[in-house]
Amino acid sequence: MTSVYKKCLTIACALCLLFFEVQGKALSDTVRTEVIQEVTVYGARGSDVSSVSTAKSADRKLMEAASALQISDVLKYFSGATVKDYGGIGGLKTVSVRGLGATHTAVAYDGVIITDNQTGQIDLGRFSASRTESVRLVSGPDNDLLQTAAMAAQAAALTVNSYRPRLETGKAQCNAEVKYGSFNTVSALAGVDLLASRNNTLSLQTEWLKTDGDYPYIQDNAGNSQRKIRDNSNVRRLRAEAALFSTLTDNTELSVRGYWFLSEQGLPANILYNDNAAREHLWNRNGFAQASLKTYPAKRMTLLFNAKYGESYTRYLNPGINNSMGKLDNRYNEQEGYLSGVLLYRLAERLSASVAADGRYSRFDNGNGDEQARPARLTLNSSSAIKYASERTVLTARLNHVVTAEKTLLNEATRNYNNLSPVIGVNWTALPAAGLHLRASYSTTYRLPTFNDLYFEQIGRRDLRPEKGSVKSIGAVIGHETEKLAISLYADLFDSSLTDRIMAVPGKNTAVWMMKNIGCVVTHGVESGLEIESASGKIRPAVNLSYTYQRSMDKSDKTSYTWNHQLPYTPRHSASAVVWVVSKWLNMSANWLYSGEYFSNSYNGPEYRMPAYYEIGCSLWREFNLRDYTFTVQSECINLTDSRYELVRNYPMPGRQFRLKLKIAL
Amino acid sequence: MKNAAIPFMLTALVTLLSCDPEPLLIEQTVGATDNNHSGMFILSEGLFNQNNSSLSWIDFSTGLPDSWTDGNNRSYDSFLKANGRRLGDTANDMLLYGSRLYIAVSESSTIEVVDAATCRSIKQLSMMTDGKAGQPRHLTAYEGFVYVCSFDGTVSRIDTLTLVSDAAVRVGRNPDGICCAAGKLYVSNSGGLDFNRPDSTVSVIDTKTFTEIARITVHPNPGFIYADNNSVYVISRGIFDYGTMDYDSRLHRIDTGTDQVTHTYNLPILNMSVADGKAWFYGYGKGGTIQVLDLAAGIITDSDFITDGTVIECPYSITADRISGRLYVTDAADYVTPGSLLCFSPDGRLLYRIKGIGINPNSISLCDFKVRPASAQQEEQLKGHVSKVFEYRPAPGQFVNLLPEYVETDDANSMALKCLNALRGNSMITLGGLGGYVTVGFDGPIVNVEGMDFGIDGNFITGGAEPGIVWVSADVNLNGLPDDPWYEIAGSEHKAGRVISNYTVTYSRPSNPDGSPAWRGSDGRSGSILRNTFHKQPYYPQWYAEKEVSFTVTLLPDNMSYSDGIWTMASFGWGYADNLPNGTDGSRFDIDWAILPDGTPALLDHIDFIKVQTGVIGCNSITGELSTEVSKIFNLNPQDR
Repeated sequence: MTSVYKKCLTIACALCLLFFEVQGKALSDTVRTEVIQEVTVYGARGSDVSSVSTAKSADRKLMEAASALQISDVLKYFSGATVKDYGGIGGLKTVSVRGLGATHTAVAYDGVIITDNQTGQIDLGRFSASRTESVRLVSGPDNDLLQTAAMAAQAAALTVNSYRPRLETGKAQCNAEVKYGSFNTVSALAGVDLLASRNNTLSLQTEWLKTDGDYPYIQDNAGNSQRKIRDNSNVRRLRAEAALFSTLTDNTELSVRGYWFLSEQGLPANILYNDNAAREHLWNRNGFAQASLKTYPAKRMTLLFNAKYGESYTRYLNPGINNSMGKLDNRYNEQEGYLSGVLLYRLAERLSASVAADGRYSRFDNGNGDEQARPARLTLNSSSAIKYASERTVLTARLNHVVTAEKTLLNEATRNYNNLSPVIGVNWTALPAAGLHLRASYSTTYRLPTFNDLYFEQIGRRDLRPEKGSVKSIGAVIGHETEKLAISLYADLFDSSLTDRIMAVPGKNTAVWMMKNIGCVVTHGVESGLEIESASGKIRPAVNLSYTYQRSMDKSDKTSYTWNHQLPYTPRHSASAVVWVVSKWLNMSANWLYSGEYFSNSYNGPEYRMPAYYEIGCSLWREFNLRDYTFTVQSECINLTDSRYELVRNYPMPGRQFRLKLKIAL
Repeated sequence: MKNAAIPFMLTALVTLLSCDPEPLLIEQTVGATDNNHSGMFILSEGLFNQNNSSLSWIDFSTGLPDSWTDGNNRSYDSFLKANGRRLGDTANDMLLYGSRLYIAVSESSTIEVVDAATCRSIKQLSMMTDGKAGQPRHLTAYEGFVYVCSFDGTVSRIDTLTLVSDAAVRVGRNPDGICCAAGKLYVSNSGGLDFNRPDSTVSVIDTKTFTEIARITVHPNPGFIYADNNSVYVISRGIFDYGTMDYDSRLHRIDTGTDQVTHTYNLPILNMSVADGKAWFYGYGKGGTIQVLDLAAGIITDSDFITDGTVIECPYSITADRISGRLYVTDAADYVTPGSLLCFSPDGRLLYRIKGIGINPNSISLCDFKVRPASAQQEEQLKGHVSKVFEYRPAPGQFVNLLPEYVETDDANSMALKCLNALRGNSMITLGGLGGYVTVGFDGPIVNVEGMDFGIDGNFITGGAEPGIVWVSADVNLNGLPDDPWYEIAGSEHKAGRVISNYTVTYSRPSNPDGSPAWRGSDGRSGSILRNTFHKQPYYPQWYAEKEVSFTVTLLPDNMSYSDGIWTMASFGWGYADNLPNGTDGSRFDIDWAILPDGTPALLDHIDFIKVQTGVIGCNSITGELSTEVSKIFNLNPQDR
């Protein structure tokens, strides 16, 4: 929830203050809150100097400079993050860190975890960048003790924070935004923020998006490459949100959010030779209500409660299947109830502790009327953490525990899982004057088998164990912040391993594939970045650079030919740059994404080599006031050089695109 | 410290980057030999939805797979090499029938008809109906027709003469196996796409009426189906059992006389190869044990065929060669790495293993004729060369039926195709005696520029001119066919008035194929195409149905003379094919030379078609009859397409 978001900022900023401005002054958790209430922060800095692990975030400026339409667009500029993208607006987009697989990245919307027990994959393309205030990705332990148990349990945590209105008394604020872009992409957003009473702010937002997605691409077929138009890539989406931010007492904040999402889209198909007829269609209906309550009941205590109830409906239609129905028409329903609580207590001046517990119940039904497992899972996460923060040292340690209870309507359910995962991290200010911090962390992670892994027709196996991973990381970060300039430079070396990977392999009967805990991947890598932003002056330039090296090796079977081969879809080298200039007259940005060569198969044969690519974009925008209105006009060019590439083999990415955006606020 | 930290990190980085082992790739192994066959095709289906099916050719005379350089990589995909494009997605089955390979590319829904000798695709048949993928699965052939069963519940018939799918018959759900016995097709209806409600029938189709005449009930989910003697064997996988997490398969034997199931064996067979009452099969379990089954008795006679301890990781196809008794097994390993082929002696010893072919090799075809996969890289050099041969109609001659080679299944179309391959491969075709011709087209027009416009190469040697008349035509009705007015290239003899226009020559088929074809001309002259000792094949074009064949031609003067025991065929001045050395202006032509029937210039700004016709008549006992030979016809100034 927003309070968690705020808390993140609180701690981030408090620690900045701690190290740069008010050194020597001890701050208790509650005192920090008070400090924060005086500081207005609209976005976190890209990298966090005092963090025990690599934490990256993007604020609105970076999102605008990177021409982000969807959250996944901005994640491509984060070091250490690998975005898998099936192309177009409707193509699935997932993010993984440090060679661990996308299912090891927990995703939260306003502090509440989003889960998909069926596939384990969260489509980040669904999150619109409009009205998103910040995105934060932490790879490893988080400094924030006020974290829910489920989020703390993963190797990487991605938090999407929606815009929180800050209204002066008696004022209402209206906003509208229209975007038009290539391939007939239109989106419109409208909303109103109301100060309902002194302590209650109501925000209503709705966004509609439509695209034909019929972008041209080149189907590579040796000498016979053909120019074609992407088919069945259209998307229609509607999102409506209502949020209430309430200050109940001086010590208690409540936020309640209702969310409704409707989408209908074609599924762009794998471009096969001679059969380009994409026919699959997907409908989605997702609604949830969530509430978050943060309170400071006693001087040294903070309490956070979250609750959520959500329903989602998915219909998948493939009318091109040669079965007796002549189609595949699957409908899935998932219901989820979630409750979480976190208690943070400052034990001593430098020592805090927290305990968190989550309970999540989800039920899955394929609604097709045929005999299916129809599983239901109760997941109980708990997490206990301590943090020691002195002038020069931050140390956090956390122990996560998960236990599940599962039942199915048909046949036997899988066994109940029970898993402990410790996490520890330290940040030491080596040279306070130079702003040099050294950090090290060790974290363990797991992912539970999904319902598909366990119960899918024929392939699913009920005896799967959770996939387990661990990450060791050491790094250095230098941060300088003055009134005029903020600079940070960081580099982290990491070493991760993933064992008991859940993969589909041929079984005893080699014609029958099944899921098995078989794979092992070891990754060595570096993630690094440089961020410079000038904070004052008429013309304020900023630079955000990142470079990642990842050597992800298959270590499953020494006798196999894929031993030591690079994990598919993981480039060894990737880099990005965003440069922008903010001025009174005009803002402009240029962005660049580079991915070195990678492979589309776990056997790194030359025919599976996916060539290196880069993408360049640029954007111009200006904000101006006319009477009471604030207008923002932005024009963007994405993939300026019309670079042709595929992120996932046979799923071409769009070429050059233009977009025009008009935003009005009253 | 800031300065110190950077070197520290760089050092750490370098250490980190350098210590990681590099992946190893599979090395190709060689040494495949077999005196009984010329070589072997291996079809690999690749990975699902990766468009990477491939066709490899193993040449037994060298023991080497056909390989080529694709960019910086070595490729063993002869289909890609020959066609400049890939086969597509999930090539599921291959059938060598006559001189052609028929390949069912399941996910791309195409049937690729490939000239086996060159690996060039002759035709790509789309199996899409109303935008729905037909998913062709397996192939069989019978009496000039290829039959393909497709997952859309049909069996289609392809006429191997016209290469058109001329009829389809509806069978059960998702047919996944087809074989032919006793003039009937047996099709296993798997129903595999209705996962837990499979079909359980075998359709019987009469090839004469091409209708389904029976449906035989079998164990659910029938798949591979084989014909042997008077029986058909079908493997049925059964229904997936969640208790054992496996299938429960059966082997049925169907009597082709009664179309009844006569035997059912409870054997866990995945795939087998059937020959003369015996079956070599592999079943479940890793390690790929090969067993031998006596089909008549239903008894396993050898529970472990492999005698030298060779391990097959994941057998993916099995083929017993009746002639040599050898057994070929393809190994898909872990399904993601390139597969291999293992060849075993009849007593179960590994003779050789070919590693590093395509991913998931699923079928092999042993071949008895010479195969030399063409190279698409040459295609670029072939810009402006012949791209179509509309008609190849040679007169009888000593090289006829040899250049190009005629085989029994050939017809006018396939002979024209062989000419195309020859002309694009710079090898010779013969036009036979006077009047024989070839009509060709190009990718783009040949524009009439200043100077020479096109060239025709032949087999000219000094004193061995066999001049041919050249005709040109422009596609004025734009239908792509050479049905427009023809204009004759008037060479030196035309200008000198030494030619006889509209001369008709008629050849008759000798009663004995080894006889000499007789000819008679419209001026009353006659003779025969004398046979010589060098060329023993029939001299009359064997694909001609007619007993007599006539040609109308412009007759050039006699250029043959004899002195001191040597026959000399003199060259004319200019303007004729196979008349002067290749690569000189004597073998080049200017469109300005084309004339109207009345002898006035035709004034063409471009041409689209060229016809070359033997223009001399003459025969001697040493060099045989005079016949124009052509190896190349090309635009001298090709435009970029």
